[in-house]
Amino acid sequence: MLKIAEKVVERARVHGAQQAAASAYQVREVSVQWRDGAVEKLTEATTRGVGVELYVDGRYASVSTSDLRADALDTFLADAVAMTRALAPDPFRALPDPALYAGQAAVDLELADPRYADLTAVERRELAEQLEAAARDTPDAARILSVTTSVSDSQSHSWRVHSDGFAGEKSGTSYWLGAEVSVQDPDGRRPEDACYAGARWRGDVPEPQGIGAEAARRTLSRLGSQKPASGQLTLVVDARAAGRVVSSLLGGLSAAGWQQKRSFLEGKLGAQIGNDLLDISDDPLVVRGLGSRRFDGEGIASRPLPLFADGVMKNGFIDTYYGKKLEMPPTTGRLSNLRWRLGSRTRAELLADVGDGILVTGFLGGNANGTTGDFSWGIQGFAIRGGRVAEPIGEANISGNHLTLWPTLLAVGDDPYRYSALRTPTLVFGGVHVAGR
Amino acid sequence: MSTALAAALQYFGRFGVDETLIRTALSAALARGGDRADVYFQHRVAHSLGLEDGAVNRAWSGIELGVGIRVLRGDQTGYGYTEDLSPASVRQAALTAAAIADGPALDRPIPQLVATAIPQRYPAKTPWDQVAASTRLPLLQRVQERAFAADPRVQKVTVHFSDEEGAVLMVDSDGRVAFDEQPMTLIHMSCMAEENGRRESNGGNIAGRAGLEFYTDAKLDKLVQEAVDRTTILFEAVQPPAGEMPVVLGAGSSGILLHEAIGHGLEADFNRKGVSIYADKLGKSIAAPFVTVVDDATPQGARGAINVDDEGNAAGLTTLIHDGVLQTYLHDSISARHYGVAPTGNGRRQSFRHAPLPRMRSTYMQNGPHTPEEIIASVERGIYCGNFANGQVQIGAGDFTFYVKNGWLIENGKLTRPIKDVNLIGNGPKVLEQIDMVGNDLKIDDGGWTCGKDGQSVPVSQGMPTTRVRAMTVGGRG
Repeated sequence: MLKIAEKVVERARVHGAQQAAASAYQVREVSVQWRDGAVEKLTEATTRGVGVELYVDGRYASVSTSDLRADALDTFLADAVAMTRALAPDPFRALPDPALYAGQAAVDLELADPRYADLTAVERRELAEQLEAAARDTPDAARILSVTTSVSDSQSHSWRVHSDGFAGEKSGTSYWLGAEVSVQDPDGRRPEDACYAGARWRGDVPEPQGIGAEAARRTLSRLGSQKPASGQLTLVVDARAAGRVVSSLLGGLSAAGWQQKRSFLEGKLGAQIGNDLLDISDDPLVVRGLGSRRFDGEGIASRPLPLFADGVMKNGFIDTYYGKKLEMPPTTGRLSNLRWRLGSRTRAELLADVGDGILVTGFLGGNANGTTGDFSWGIQGFAIRGGRVAEPIGEANISGNHLTLWPTLLAVGDDPYRYSALRTPTLVFGGVHVAGR
Repeated sequence: MSTALAAALQYFGRFGVDETLIRTALSAALARGGDRADVYFQHRVAHSLGLEDGAVNRAWSGIELGVGIRVLRGDQTGYGYTEDLSPASVRQAALTAAAIADGPALDRPIPQLVATAIPQRYPAKTPWDQVAASTRLPLLQRVQERAFAADPRVQKVTVHFSDEEGAVLMVDSDGRVAFDEQPMTLIHMSCMAEENGRRESNGGNIAGRAGLEFYTDAKLDKLVQEAVDRTTILFEAVQPPAGEMPVVLGAGSSGILLHEAIGHGLEADFNRKGVSIYADKLGKSIAAPFVTVVDDATPQGARGAINVDDEGNAAGLTTLIHDGVLQTYLHDSISARHYGVAPTGNGRRQSFRHAPLPRMRSTYMQNGPHTPEEIIASVERGIYCGNFANGQVQIGAGDFTFYVKNGWLIENGKLTRPIKDVNLIGNGPKVLEQIDMVGNDLKIDDGGWTCGKDGQSVPVSQGMPTTRVRAMTVGGRG
């Protein structure tokens, strides 16, 4: 596939592109879905394709194809170059400054498990079966309507080649286990919940017993959930759920949003956005990290990037194009992994401090307005009474605005969620609007 | 050989697909004792153009070509796919899928291939492969010019245009062949306006299965006017209220309520597994007698229209709720066989990389006995929902949400002040019971809706007459 990427750049130039950058990829994906004692679905395939960014007479297009036959590829590139010529010129389009390619970290990120090929079809099936058995191993098993489990793994390789000499290769593996459980609520509802866990190396994936049991525990805890009363309450967002709130905040860091003036964080570099507990950086160099990389999608060498320090906005996600438009140096266009300045208290200690409020364990729909920072999301979770988790609640919404939410960040937990590149810990906010009854 | 089969093989022949390859794939698929198998060849060419900061200065295009091979053994599915249509690669993908079974092949030769006749609900008059990029560009420019002309507060306009064409060829182990050419197009515009230092943005889009003829000046101008109006009214919007109150759903895209509150819950895979809140409600009254809800493959040129589903089954109009009584689930072949009923033509998939699942097409509520005016006038204090961004549902618990981008407060039977950006949450069966007025102004929305399930996206449509729900939870702050 490296040869295909090289060939694509070469042919694009022959057809008239002054510059080109190609990425070719090959991914093998295997998954087993298991339901109630039998395999539901087996999927296995190796997928591949190539994408290329074209710079033609000051114009830009980005194209991709999965038809890699030599003749088809050549016709495709000729058509793509012709299409690019029909566009208006764009003086801000260019490959990155080659100086930014230099300085890739010398660290081995260990993103690919060298023993990927060892996992057998029989082992996948056994894991799927064990996940179900663990979910059903509960005194309340009679309430369980159905258990669906999944075992999936993938191995990916990609090659990136630029006409200005950049060449890079990436490979990675991942393994995921999951269990989804449905239970019968005496009132007719059939609440469902799930637990998923994964890692880049098989040896880092937790045992299926814990995952299955957690899925059942979470689902059974939903029985009898009620709509809470409306009000302004202290909100504890658990580590697994907090990604929704955090990714919405980070949406405001996109340079495209700044340049298009559609970002509530536009013009706020150096400004206090949250209180001093808000302290996050982008860290692409986490060994075995889900979002780790040595260079980004443009070939720019990856390095840690402070986003918020003591509540002050330090950087945004600036790619080459919007960096040129904004006359700002590029950082990187995309998030990798987040690194948080963690608190020292556990979730239980945080709940005890809160006394009364709501623990959010999941979100249901909703959205945010990226221009103004307003958000409104459906939630489910539990009431917190006397510092302890009390009855389950659901069919409720929270709403607010990021610019007034983050100054009310009361505490950050010690428990980053391992199964997302956002690595969010438990977050506690004061006085959030909850709409229920 | 029928002409439909000849047309299919002519289309895919240039990629090396012939009857021998199809038979090789199906035989390999059944090599380990699967009951049934099907192959799904797909070719799709997509183009898009973007306008930003005054110029159409970016383009994307993509070609997808490949085959998905599915093997069924009872309710169980084996699936493999490949982008490489060489006989060796296709055979390997079929053998991978065959592993869902683990016995010897049954003695079942593939019969003669017979093409199914299918309707033509979206013939493109000017297909996209005959449209030069230079013909598409003025569409985006017109939208931008109109947007700036519509209101001096508009400061930034972006326009995104996409078109797609291609075909699918499905052949199953009974020798059934279906071939469908599937155009699609969408234009999206968004704008940012400023007033006294405040900024607001909003947008709109229209989509359909059609060629260039889809874009009339009138249609584009309406898109622009609506998007600009929806943006500038946000400067006047007040904080939406919080708590339970009556909700009036405007005609058109409010169909998102049906999609989330009932549509997903009626997809038969969830019922076959017993995990849907509607799993034991067939034949029961679940809504007022003037509530009739359908899922329809037939609206001419609609984004959610299909000529045939992605399993080669006929697709028509399926009545889900008739006069308040639940009639049927939405079936694919697996669930239809499980329930012993005919498939409803709802087996759909994102692409050859995915096995089909029961999915919606164009979901809407039929007209009811009330007028929109009397519905609004009936509400003392509540909200009116105008347009929407997105929604989501929990199939089993029944809780669902939808996000209202623009709406109004209703006070003493009148629309008084605009509201914005508020999520509504309800419980599917409870909300259906609480629909107590249905208008006579059904409108099927022509927006570019996309439905996600199990990691697969498919285009859908939705529609609704003006409708009142007695009480839902509104997630505001006021």
